[in-house]
Amino acid sequence: MHFWTKLNHKAIYLVVLLTLKLPLSYAQSQSAIQPATEQARGISYIWWSMFWVAVVVFVAVMLLLAWGLWRGKSKKPTQLSYLASRNLVIVAGIAVPLVTVICLVGGSLMLGRSLSASPPDNALEVRITGWMWWWQIEYLDENSNTIATTANELHVPINRPIQVYLESGDVIHSFWVPQLHGKTDLIPGRTNSSWFEVDVSGTFRGQCAEFCGLQHALMGFLVVSEPQAEFDAWLANQQVPAQPPENNEVLAGQRVFFEAGCHQCHTIRGTDAAGTAGPDLTHLASRQSIASVTRKNSRAHLGGWVADPNGIKPGAKMPMSQLDAKELSDLLDYLQSLH
Amino acid sequence: MSTSINNDQQTANADVDVSNFSRHLNGQNAPIWWGIIGLILIELSVVSAFTVTYLYLYMQHPQWPPNDIAPPPLLIPTWSTILMLLSCVTMYLAGKSVEKNHSKGFVIYTFASVIMALMVLWIRWQQFDNFDMRWDQHVYGSLLWTISGFHFIHIVSAAIGTGAIGLFGMVGFYTKQRQIGVVVDTMYWNFVAFAWLPFYLVLYYFPWL
Amino acid sequence: MKNHPHTEQAIFDDQEGAEPILDKTWLSPPGFFGWFTHVNQRQIGFRFVVTSLIFFALGGLLALLMRLQLVQPENTLMGAEFYHQIMTMHGTTMMFFFAVPAMEGLGIYLVPLMLGTRDMSFPRLNAFGYYVYLIAGITLYLALFLGMAPDTGWFSYVPLAGIDYSPGQGVSFWTTMITFIEISALTAAVELIVTILKQRAPGMTLNRMPIFVWSILVMSFMIVFAMPTVMVGSVLLALDRTFATQFFVASGGGDPLLWQHLFWFFGHPEVYIIVVPALGIVSTVISTFCQREVFGYTAVVLSMVTIGFVSFGLWVHHMFTTGLPHLGLSFFTAASAMIAIPSGVQIFCWIATLWGSKIKFKTPMLFIMGFFAVFVIGGLTGVMAASIPFDMQAHDSYFVVAHLHYVLIGGAVLPFFAGLYYWYPKMTGSMLSERLGCWSFWLIFIGLNLTFFPMHQLGLDGMPRRVYTYLHNMGWGEVNFFVTCAAFLMAFGFLLTFINTLISPYKSRAAGNNPWNADTLEWWAQSPPRNYNFRHLPVISSRTPLWQKAPLYKVTGIRADRREIIITTLLDAKPQGVCIMPSPTYWPFVLALTVGFGFLGFMFKPILFVVGFFLSFFAIVGWLWPARPWLAEKPPEEGHPVRGLQ
Repeated sequence: MHFWTKLNHKAIYLVVLLTLKLPLSYAQSQSAIQPATEQARGISYIWWSMFWVAVVVFVAVMLLLAWGLWRGKSKKPTQLSYLASRNLVIVAGIAVPLVTVICLVGGSLMLGRSLSASPPDNALEVRITGWMWWWQIEYLDENSNTIATTANELHVPINRPIQVYLESGDVIHSFWVPQLHGKTDLIPGRTNSSWFEVDVSGTFRGQCAEFCGLQHALMGFLVVSEPQAEFDAWLANQQVPAQPPENNEVLAGQRVFFEAGCHQCHTIRGTDAAGTAGPDLTHLASRQSIASVTRKNSRAHLGGWVADPNGIKPGAKMPMSQLDAKELSDLLDYLQSLH
Repeated sequence: MSTSINNDQQTANADVDVSNFSRHLNGQNAPIWWGIIGLILIELSVVSAFTVTYLYLYMQHPQWPPNDIAPPPLLIPTWSTILMLLSCVTMYLAGKSVEKNHSKGFVIYTFASVIMALMVLWIRWQQFDNFDMRWDQHVYGSLLWTISGFHFIHIVSAAIGTGAIGLFGMVGFYTKQRQIGVVVDTMYWNFVAFAWLPFYLVLYYFPWL
Repeated sequence: MKNHPHTEQAIFDDQEGAEPILDKTWLSPPGFFGWFTHVNQRQIGFRFVVTSLIFFALGGLLALLMRLQLVQPENTLMGAEFYHQIMTMHGTTMMFFFAVPAMEGLGIYLVPLMLGTRDMSFPRLNAFGYYVYLIAGITLYLALFLGMAPDTGWFSYVPLAGIDYSPGQGVSFWTTMITFIEISALTAAVELIVTILKQRAPGMTLNRMPIFVWSILVMSFMIVFAMPTVMVGSVLLALDRTFATQFFVASGGGDPLLWQHLFWFFGHPEVYIIVVPALGIVSTVISTFCQREVFGYTAVVLSMVTIGFVSFGLWVHHMFTTGLPHLGLSFFTAASAMIAIPSGVQIFCWIATLWGSKIKFKTPMLFIMGFFAVFVIGGLTGVMAASIPFDMQAHDSYFVVAHLHYVLIGGAVLPFFAGLYYWYPKMTGSMLSERLGCWSFWLIFIGLNLTFFPMHQLGLDGMPRRVYTYLHNMGWGEVNFFVTCAAFLMAFGFLLTFINTLISPYKSRAAGNNPWNADTLEWWAQSPPRNYNFRHLPVISSRTPLWQKAPLYKVTGIRADRREIIITTLLDAKPQGVCIMPSPTYWPFVLALTVGFGFLGFMFKPILFVVGFFLSFFAIVGWLWPARPWLAEKPPEEGHPVRGLQ
C-alpha cells in the first residue's frame, strides 16, 4: 500500500509539473529553454512560438472533430453540404496550414540564416576534436596555431563570439550544449564550425548527441563562461607547462605515472609524457570534473577512475591500473598537483 | 447513398462473358510484362543510386582520378558497349522470328545474342586485370570495381536467362501464341544493355573531364 | 502448372454445382509439408499479418527492457553493449519486420478481395516474399539470442558501423539481413502494383477503386523507388566491411555522409510507406462507420499521391546538424513543412465525412479517434522539427523520440489496430470482443500519451537519444521513472488485444458476410472467404458496389477446373484476357532457402554468396520449368465486343 501511495504521489506531482511545463531545475541543467546566449534565445523563442501555434491548432482540430461528432448525436443525422465540406477542406486543410507553414518556414529561415552566418572578426577560435569518448580542446591564435590544449572543459570569456571548429578523430560525434546553441556534428574528414556568444557567467553542461558507441551516453563536457580578465588568467595558466614536483610524494607519484605506462596515452607538457590517445592532463587539477563530466574531480573519484575505469564507464579505452594503495596515493598526489 | 458514376464510364447491364478470351497473354495484357517493368524500375533505382553515388564522390575530389592515375582508356570499353547494343538488335530479330513462328531463326538469333554477351564478358574480364587501382586503395577504385562488377553480374544473369529461352526454343516451346517468355527476356536484356550507358559515361568519361 | 486443353469437358464457374470443383482447384494442400507449398493470396497475406504481429510483440518486449534500464539514473540492469543491441533490434524490428510487412500483409490479403479477383498476379513470388521475410527475421533474432545482434542503431551510421569500429559479426548481420528483407518488400510491392493495375474487376475504373487500394498502390510505388537505395547503401557497407572498399572511409577518399544520404533517401519515404496505407485504413473505417462515402474522393487520393511524391524530397531533414550549407538545407525545411498540407486535407475530408452522422463507436472507430488526436500531435511536432534552428536543439534528443513515436504509433499502429478489429471478422469468421477491445484501446491510448508526451520535455531538458544511462544530477530520473511505468500500461493494453485475437474464435460470435454493412467487395465474400474468394467474379458499376440498389452482375466463362483470373485494361478495367494462375508448389520456399543461404553465407565466407547464386539459379529453373502439357494453341478471338458492358 505504501509503495502505491508513493507512486501515486510521484505521478500526481509529475503530471502537475508537466502541465505547468516547468523546466526541472535541479543541480545541473542542460535545458534548451534556459538559454544563455542570443543564439539559444532565438531558438527558444521560435520553439515557444511554434508551441503555442501547435496548441491552438490541436485544440481547434479536436474541437471541430468533437463538434462534428456531437452533431451526429441529434435524432436526425445531418450531413455537411458539398459546399460546406469543400470549404472546410480548403480553408482548414489547405489555406490555414499554408499560411501557418509559410510563417514558420520564413521565421526559421531568417533565424537559421543569422545562426549560420560567419561570426564577427574578434571571435575566439577553438578547435574541438571528438574522440571515443572525450573532447579534445585546443585554443588557437590568429594564425590557427594551437596555443593551449585541454580536455572536456571549455572556458570562454563572456560577451565575445566563440568560434568552434569541430573535427572527429574516429566516428561521428555531436557537440551539443543546449543552453548555448543547437548541436553540430563532428564528422571525420570534415571540419564543421559553429559559433555562439555567452552573455552571463556560469557553467553549462553539454553532451555528445550522436551515437558513437559504448560510452556515448557518458561523453559530456562543460562550458565555463567567465569575465574576460578571469578567462585570460585561466588561458595563461593552461599555456604553461606543468610545474615540477614540489615534494617527495608528488615526485613519487610522477614516477608511478611513468612506470604504470600512463605517459603512453596522456600528455603532460613539461615532462616526457607525450601520448595522444587520451586527454591532455597538464592541468588536470584545474578541471571541475573527470571522465568527461561523469564524476566530480575529487580525490576519491579520481582514485576510483584510475583504479578501474570500467567501473565508471564500462568499455572505456583506459585500461585498469595494477597499483597498490601507496602507489595509487602517490599518483593521486601527483595528479592533484597539476593545477 | 451517393454513387458517383460518370456518364462516360461503363455501366453494367448484364453479365460479362469471357469464355472466348485468349488464355495466351503476350503483351501488355500479361501480368509478367508489367512485372518485368516493375523489376526494371527497381533496377533503374539501383542504377541511379550508384550513378549519384559516383557523382557525389566525384564532386568532392578536385583531382579525379586521384593520385596521378591516368584516366581509363576509352577504346575497348567503347567497343564492348557497341557490341552490347548490337546484341539488342539480334534479340529484336529473335523476337521477330517468334512472331513469324520461325523456330530456327529464333534459336540462331538468341544464341548469337548470348555469344555476343559472352564476348563482352570476356572483354570485361580482361579489363578487370588492367584496372589501374584496386578496390581497397581509394574510393575511385572501389567505384570502378563495384559498378563494373555489378553490371558484369547482370550480363551474366541476362545471358543465362537468354540461354535458357534459347534451349526452350530448340524444343519448340515458343510460338507466336506462346511468346511472353521471349518478350520479357528481351525487355530485361535491353534494360541491362541500356543501363550500362550511364555507367559507361561516369566510369569512362568523367575521369577525362 | 496443370493446363487442361480447351475441350468440351471444361467446367465453368457459372455452371450449377461448380463449387466443389472450385474448392478442389483452389485447394491449398493441408498438413505440415503442404503448408510450404501454399500460394493463395489470402493465406500468404494472413501469414504476413500474423508474423508481423509476432515481431511487433518482440519489438515491444525489447522496448520494455530498454525502459527498465532507463527507469533510474546509472541503472545496472544491463550493460551498455546489451542495451545497444536491444535498442538496435527494437528499431530494426519495428521498422523492417513489423510496420512494412504488416501493411503489405493487409494489402496482400485485402486488395484482391477488394478488386474482385481470385489471386494476385504472381502467387509464387508472393510466397517467396513471405519466406524471405520469415528467414530474415528468424536469422536476426537468432543473432540476438547468440549475443551477436547488431549494435549500432537501426540506422547504422558509419564510421561506427564500419569494420574498424564494429569488427564483430553484428553489423554484418544487419547489412545482409536488411538487403535480404528488402527483396521481400520489393516483390510484394511489384505484385501489388501489377494486381491493382491489371486485375481489377470489369468496370472498376481507377476512380471506382477503394481508397485503401489507392493507398496500397501509392505505398508500393514508394517501395519500388525508395528501397533499392538502402539496398545499395547496405551493399556498399558490406563491401567496405568485407573487402575494404573505401566508400564511407574518409581517409580513402570516401565520405561518411554518403551513407546518411543513401540511408535517409530511403529512410524518409519509409515512414510514409508505413503511414500511407494506414491513412487508407482510416478512410475505410470512417466510411463504413458513418455509412457514407468519404467526402472528397479525388482530394483524398491526390493527397496520398502527393505525399508519396513529396516524401522523396525531405530526406536531408535528418541531416540538419551535419554542417551542410544552410541554403541547401532550407529547401528541405520548406518541403518538410509543406507535406503537412496533404495530410491536413485528408484530416478535414474525414471530419467533413463524419460530420453529423450517427456513429456506433465500436472498437475500430475508437482506434480511429485515437489516431486523430495522436497523429495530429505527431504531425505538429514534425513541422516544428522542420525548422532548422529548432531541429539543431531537438535532433537526436528525446524530443524526436517523442515525435517519431507519436506519428508512428498514432499514424500507423492505431489505424493498423483499427484495421485488425475491422477485418478480423472477415479473416476468421468471428467478431472480436468489444469489451476487451474497448479496454485495450483506452489502456493503449492513455498509456502511449503518458509514455511519450513527457519525452518532449526530456528532449528540451537536454536528454540525448540512444543513451543506455544518464547521470543522477541531470534531473531526468523522475520523468524517466514515470515514462517506464506508463510504458507498461501501454504494453498491457496491447496484450489485451493479443489475448482478444487468440480467444475470440472460441467464443461463438459468428460474423456473417458483412457485419459492419460496409461497401467494399471483400464483404461480399464469406467470412472467411473460400479459397477462390467469390463464387462469381463481380462486374462493377459504382464506387460502392455493396451499397448500390441494383444487384451485382457477374463474369461468366471463367473456368472452375483450373485457376483463372481476368486481366483488364489499366484505366477503364475492360476485360482483355484471362490468365491461368499457378497451383501450389514448393519452389518458392526452396528459392528462399537458396537466396538466404547466399546472403547468410556471405557473412562467413564471401564465396558462399556465389554458391548461393548458382543454387538459386537451379531453383529458378525448377520454378519456371513449363510442365507439359503446354497450354494448347487456339486461334485468337480478341477484339470481339464483350457482352454485358456498353
